[in-house]
Amino acid sequence: MSIELSHVTKRYGATRAVNDASLLVNDEVQVLVFIGPSGGGKSTLLRLLGGLETPSSGSVKFDGNELGIHEAALRKFRRENGFLFQSFNLFPHLTALQNVMLPLVRVHGFTRMKASEKSASTLRRFGLSDHTEKRPAQLSGGQQQRVALARAMAHGPGLLLLDEPTSALDPEMKAEVLDVVAELCQAGQKIILTTHEMGFARKSGDQIVFLSAGEIIATSEGDEFFGKSESAEVRGFLEKVMKW
Amino acid sequence: MKYLFSTVVCVVLGVTYCFVLWVVATHHYDWAALRPYWKNLLSGWWVTLLISSGALSLSALIAALLTAGQLSPHRVPRALTRVFVEFVRGTPLLTQILIGYYLVADSLGLDSRFGVGLVILSCFSGAYLSEIFRGGIESIPGSQWTSARAIGLSEIQTYRFVVIPQAIRRVLPASAGQFANLIKDSSLLFVISVHEFTMQAREANAHTYATFEAYLPLVIGYLLLTLPISLFSRYLEDRFRYEY
Repeated sequence: MSIELSHVTKRYGATRAVNDASLLVNDEVQVLVFIGPSGGGKSTLLRLLGGLETPSSGSVKFDGNELGIHEAALRKFRRENGFLFQSFNLFPHLTALQNVMLPLVRVHGFTRMKASEKSASTLRRFGLSDHTEKRPAQLSGGQQQRVALARAMAHGPGLLLLDEPTSALDPEMKAEVLDVVAELCQAGQKIILTTHEMGFARKSGDQIVFLSAGEIIATSEGDEFFGKSESAEVRGFLEKVMKW
Repeated sequence: MKYLFSTVVCVVLGVTYCFVLWVVATHHYDWAALRPYWKNLLSGWWVTLLISSGALSLSALIAALLTAGQLSPHRVPRALTRVFVEFVRGTPLLTQILIGYYLVADSLGLDSRFGVGLVILSCFSGAYLSEIFRGGIESIPGSQWTSARAIGLSEIQTYRFVVIPQAIRRVLPASAGQFANLIKDSSLLFVISVHEFTMQAREANAHTYATFEAYLPLVIGYLLLTLPISLFSRYLEDRFRYEY
């Protein structure tokens, strides 16, 4: 994927969630990972890249096209991609199958029949064949997150954006979701991910971006980043999170 | 402790019910005096049924429009609907009926008491209902909106497939209560001489002085109208239940 952020700032009232961030990501990067302390601007930057937010100033380019600020163009961009949230955000009144079907039928123009087949096969792919008729409240956190992943993946998104997909899960369920995400990485899916899972970031990330207090502090290739970062702040952060 | 509390509640309610029933049942009634008025009471009940069911449908429609106005992104429809809702909720229905019939309808050349009464009642109930609807819609968490945007739904699609189906379940109990109120409030239409149920009872009482004989049928007559609404609402609540 190619990304070009130039002097991007996102303000919420007086707070600058992202402050004058510039970043270049070249075409060879398939998995881009944002890490850093909570409240550092990772999620906001991910939402900006996913077309869910618009920058207060600066510009965001993805694959050479500027995302802009017009809702219609942003919606078109969002439809091409998939988004996964920390708290799953499934629709509680719909079954797992219906959750996956809804965007296929209403956004991507599938017939009900085609959408149902596609949804069922996507859910099967993520190990959820036995749970298609259940509502979110009847599923575990890990299962819910995999349904959300099926919903984000069913239409074959160009880019998959994951916002701390395992932060709300216990260790066993974390593994269950990360396994699936790792498979997607291996299958060549383009992914941008924010995470606190350093092991996963190291293993799967082609490029790591470290954000703190709304600013991009450091960016480099995966191994290099975890090996010997030049930034003292990065080293301090890694020391803390890897300590236990 | 919990057991003790529920026992006390059961005993208090049980004794109260028995006492009231005993008082009502042992009163000396003169049903013969009411005999010439049974037909009128029945026709009054029928008028109440017609006006209430008409107003029930119309008020739901008015409420939907008022809710749309209140949720509008534009200031003018928001302000106009707000004025309507505050006026209607803040002034006595009796006054509204008088103004609506003798001033507004009269100047428009309308003289159907039934029709004008139905419309006034619908406006009154619609204002209350719209606040219930608005509350229901605004109670759906923002994460559902974010999720809907992320999968590419438009605003209207989000209302239709995500927000309203969830809001319906939440507004059912309060709406059923409001519909029951509407049925009882229709009795105020006596001020413009709509010969509904309560008015017939008043007339029967005025001619016979058999007060309880005239008014007791109201208890049964109104319960026959309000109980089905209550039961139907319970049934719908169960059907739309998704949080198990």
